[in-house]
Amino acid sequence: MTSNYDILIAGGGRVGFQTAERLADLGHDVTIIEQDDRVVSEIADEWIATVIQGDATNPDIIEQAGIEQANVIAALTGETGLNLAVCLAARELSPEIRTVARIDRVAGESYTRLVDAVLFPERAGARVAANEILGSDVQTLADVTGNLDILLVRVAEGAPAAGKKLADVRFPAGTLIVSDDDGNRIARSDTTLTPGSRYVVAVEPDVADEVMNLMRG
Amino acid sequence: MSENQTRSPEAELGLLDATMIGMGAMIGAGIFVLTGLAAEIAGPAAILVFALNGVVTAFTGLSYAELAASIPKSGGGYAFVREIFADLSSFIMGWMLWFAYMIAGGLYALGFAPNFLELLHVYGVVPPPDEVGAVVIPVVDVGVPLALLLAFVAVLGLVALNAVSTAASGSAETVFTIIKVSILVVFVGFGLASPMFSGAEFQPLFSEGAGATALLPAMGLTFIAFEGYDLITTVTEEVENPRENIPKAIFVSLLATVIVYLAVVTVAVGTLGAEGLADAGEAGIAAAATSFMPTGLPIIQNGGAIIVFGAVFSTLTALNAVVIASSRVAFSMGREGQLLPSFGQIHHRYGTPFVAILTSAVVMLGSVALPTQSAGNMASLFFLLSFIIVNVAVIRLRRERPNMNRPYKMPYYPVPALLGIALNLLLAGVLVEYLMRTDPLALVLSAAWILLGGLVYVALDRLKAQPDRGPIESNTEISLSGED
Repeated sequence: MTSNYDILIAGGGRVGFQTAERLADLGHDVTIIEQDDRVVSEIADEWIATVIQGDATNPDIIEQAGIEQANVIAALTGETGLNLAVCLAARELSPEIRTVARIDRVAGESYTRLVDAVLFPERAGARVAANEILGSDVQTLADVTGNLDILLVRVAEGAPAAGKKLADVRFPAGTLIVSDDDGNRIARSDTTLTPGSRYVVAVEPDVADEVMNLMRG
Repeated sequence: MSENQTRSPEAELGLLDATMIGMGAMIGAGIFVLTGLAAEIAGPAAILVFALNGVVTAFTGLSYAELAASIPKSGGGYAFVREIFADLSSFIMGWMLWFAYMIAGGLYALGFAPNFLELLHVYGVVPPPDEVGAVVIPVVDVGVPLALLLAFVAVLGLVALNAVSTAASGSAETVFTIIKVSILVVFVGFGLASPMFSGAEFQPLFSEGAGATALLPAMGLTFIAFEGYDLITTVTEEVENPRENIPKAIFVSLLATVIVYLAVVTVAVGTLGAEGLADAGEAGIAAAATSFMPTGLPIIQNGGAIIVFGAVFSTLTALNAVVIASSRVAFSMGREGQLLPSFGQIHHRYGTPFVAILTSAVVMLGSVALPTQSAGNMASLFFLLSFIIVNVAVIRLRRERPNMNRPYKMPYYPVPALLGIALNLLLAGVLVEYLMRTDPLALVLSAAWILLGGLVYVALDRLKAQPDRGPIESNTEISLSGED
């Protein structure tokens, strides 16, 4: 009935705190579990979340954070093993809870067998960094589970595919042009790749450079 | 309300602003409206009544400070209790607090009317308040007392204002409070200097017959005067460094308020006498002022007019504050699913919790029909009861979440919280006993409100049971706008 979630975050450091701040801004209830004295008092100064001080793998501490009412627990400390332990302990205490664990390498994707979702902040950071570096010509919109990229690409003047109809361009397998120019319609075979316009493109990473070549030159 | 888009998030209130919000609510209508009533029950001991109430409420103030510093939510008492207690208990807390604010609104409107008539009288627009007759409404052809009509219009006007535009900001409240306090300082200054005060008679301190026991019901009746710090905790989000400033603001505003009350009541009793004060009722302070303030001044003519103006201004700003406070409680309850969801929604056009404000207005307008004393009694009773819950909440939170970070901890825990519970319980008991003898109507209405709350709770529970809430989506969604 309510639209706001009750969220537990284990680890109030860089990633945990930023996440908590964002969620609190969106109107959700956030509780942070954090062990470090200094970090605890920093969070208290910002006054965005209730803080439980202690070890997030300790069931006692997780219970104090209000696990029964919580919809989600996100373990966002810097240690993958610890994060997984927190999520597993939380699920043991409250089987319905959604679990999110921060991991520290791409291979960690297989952890989705243990938790509902994994998070690799470095990759998200890299995506934003690449977007900023490239400006508005090519932007990664989202990471899809797995490796698929959803991009927003501006067709460059003089690029191989510029000014051509989609039916006339042979994109490599593993490419899908999703929208027509500036995202008003779903692309059709007669959609023209107008130079200067932006298109939403879904692409598998091993053909991404080829697609860039066709659209950007 | 973090959902409030029109308020800039940078609006940082300092310690002064936060303190002034609390003082503004406490030195509002209470001092003008209730002094006469307290004098009626307790005689010259009205001075003691306010001092003791300050002491009693200070214990609950400690609990508020601890909760506000450790639970980062801008909802006041209801939000804290919601965090700690199960559905039913927090529903009751919200339900009672909501009612207390609405009835307080009625009380302030009722205090506004005679003071406004007094102001008009000072300038010779209308005859003395007690000679003002009823206004005949042409269509239905019944006479309505002018004061009642004025109270009704005041509520309607402020509700309309709040329904279509967002509330005055904290800094406006600071200016209002400074005006109010300055006017009272003028009052105290002239009062102390007046020849009437030099011959002041505070003996016998206790009115004959009743004796010292009359203190307790008078305390119960006027307890509402010190409810204001709940309001500080509803704006915590906008206060800079809240974990230090909120507890400080609570204590400073409470202390300053008690001092102002003592000075004003001492002067009022000293000049007008307890009986004269009691006779003047809701306009007690105004009547005292007109008796000793200089006359024949340029423009304003009558020095007493300043004080009467202060009374009108204070009751109106206090009324405005409780219109906001009551709708905010209902709004939070709506958001938490403890009232219909429409209560928790911001109006798409006006950006205000429209339904919450309008519903609060209905009860407020209804309570304007009550005698002032009944309104004061009921509001005080419900504040006493909700403050008991707040004190219990502190103890329960300490036990259930020992590892929770508490930037402010009350000294000598759990003594203050236990004292708060015991004293509030005592006053509530005395008040109920007093009401049984003198004002059964207030008691019946209070019980009816609790009963209605029970029905609403059960009905909402049924309603919620039907459409299943459904778990949160368990797969990661692809979002095209997911840039960060």
